[in-house]
Amino acid sequence: MKRSDLTEFAIEEEGFKLKICRGAEGTPVMSNGRMPVAVPMAAESAASPQPASSPPANAGLAATAAPQEEPGITYIKSPMVGTFYRAASPESPAFVEAGAKVEEKTVVCIIEAMKIMNEIQSETKGTVVEVLVENGQPVEYGQRLFKVKVG
Amino acid sequence: MIQKILIANRGEIALRIVRACRELGIKTLAVYSEADVQSLHVQLADEAICIGGAKSADSYLRGERIIAAAEIADVDAIHPGYGFLSENAKFAEQCESCNIKFIGPKSNSIKIMGDKAVAKHTVRKAGVPTVPGSDGPVENEAEAVKIARRIGYPVIIKAVAGGGGRGMRIAHNDVSFAKEYHVARGEAEKAFSNPAVYLEKYIEKPRHIEFQILADSHGKTLHLGERDCSVQRRHQKLIEESPSPFLTADLRKRMGKAAIRAAEAAEYENAGTIEFIVDAKGNFYFIEMNTRIQVEHPVTEEVTGIDLVKQQIYVANGEKLAFDQGDIKFDGRHAIECRINAEDPARNFAPSPGTIGLYYAPGGHGVRVDSHVYSGYVIPPYYDSMIGKLICFGSSRKTALERTYRALTEYIVRGIKTTIPLHRAIMSDPTFIEGKATTAYMEDFLSRTPPDLFS
Repeated sequence: MKRSDLTEFAIEEEGFKLKICRGAEGTPVMSNGRMPVAVPMAAESAASPQPASSPPANAGLAATAAPQEEPGITYIKSPMVGTFYRAASPESPAFVEAGAKVEEKTVVCIIEAMKIMNEIQSETKGTVVEVLVENGQPVEYGQRLFKVKVG
Repeated sequence: MIQKILIANRGEIALRIVRACRELGIKTLAVYSEADVQSLHVQLADEAICIGGAKSADSYLRGERIIAAAEIADVDAIHPGYGFLSENAKFAEQCESCNIKFIGPKSNSIKIMGDKAVAKHTVRKAGVPTVPGSDGPVENEAEAVKIARRIGYPVIIKAVAGGGGRGMRIAHNDVSFAKEYHVARGEAEKAFSNPAVYLEKYIEKPRHIEFQILADSHGKTLHLGERDCSVQRRHQKLIEESPSPFLTADLRKRMGKAAIRAAEAAEYENAGTIEFIVDAKGNFYFIEMNTRIQVEHPVTEEVTGIDLVKQQIYVANGEKLAFDQGDIKFDGRHAIECRINAEDPARNFAPSPGTIGLYYAPGGHGVRVDSHVYSGYVIPPYYDSMIGKLICFGSSRKTALERTYRALTEYIVRGIKTTIPLHRAIMSDPTFIEGKATTAYMEDFLSRTPPDLFS
């Protein structure tokens, strides 16, 4: 954004709008190791904003990764804050891969919080379409973990 | 050396902490609920992690999720703000055991001062005057009535696990006592999961005067003067000022020394506040200690020039306080704070959440606004109704009053109802202008002032 010298720009696509504004004099960056002034962003999206795939991420940046709702598709979301693991241990196979069929009580992953390994259940009956986070990635509450085709 | 702080709070205090951290070059992590995605401090913090759903019980009160966020983001310290988990001894203990610095006192100090009956007992041993009352929780109704008669009516029945003005009932005689006793216990059970209550003599029309304490971990405890918070509605503060128009220099000195003794009795570190009630004759009594930074801390900051949130961080860092009691000057500066709430004074202060259409805050010499709201901001209905604080200060109380009135006339908040007109009316009210307000003031003011003058 700095290179383009724009002070304001807007994207409008089906499903979400993103508007970025900079302050009148642009964004000063302090060079003495202090934090630069953050750019305030007002994100409006039709779907509820989802965090970008590399948390911890500033909520304002999240709007860029808000996909629209598709029919017949649901998401398994994280019920807690912690670290996401695909398998029970480094040597074990992943709980589920894309294409796997799941029931409500199927364990789909582990989220480790404060040294406790929590088994996360699917709570949905269907087929895993996509695994949305990587092994060992920190996740926040509400973050989408798996894309599931219901049924 | 603290390099990254997790802010376990929201709204204006979270913004306040982000600001102090940025000036100190400390990285910030905001944890937030799904209802606070568009919150100003979340946007300004370096990092942000969602910790739960809109309801506080599902987010800001989830200590385990906050600590999990602290671990994955590798923070050095957690600032709990006020409310939420700031006075939760268990949470402070969990931080301690996870090696994350809790920016506040030791968990044991929170425990001592958190039980209001234990707190009273502790400070009394240190020679701090307390209100005559039961020595700890009352065992049963029969004992309670006996004590009430010994103290003398009217008595106030308080929840042992309460605080912040909640869980209190007043009884004027034996007949009403029986009823109020049971109601108080029921309310305490519901609000604090602990039905235990204690009794105190009810001091009529007292002034609420509190002292700001700052203590480091090297044995130095100071007070930064008092704040008069007598203007309250249903025990919730509306206006705070410093210095108190009631205190003499002598009374200030004696109360300040008592406040320090009370804090030392709990081995207190970091920022805290000792609350007293003062009767018309100048007798003062300890009622409780707030073991956290308070909403009204800016009043003290503007009178003393000391940045309390930065001092909290320095103390948490293990540094010695850089000044002594003699360095703190009260040389005539006066500050007044008005709490701006999203409430409709004309409809019995019903909360007024919703979208703020236009927001314009006042400015100019001697005007400070601590607020997290902005034009277009949607006030979520899940939390308290305070949208900002207006703090005006000057070289005399008269200047501070006039400035507050002037600033309130400039303050625009469209789309919701606020207490701005109420504050304007109070600033014009002779009783307040003359410095005569006690804790009975608001009820009196509301009963004699036509509603269209303050809404």
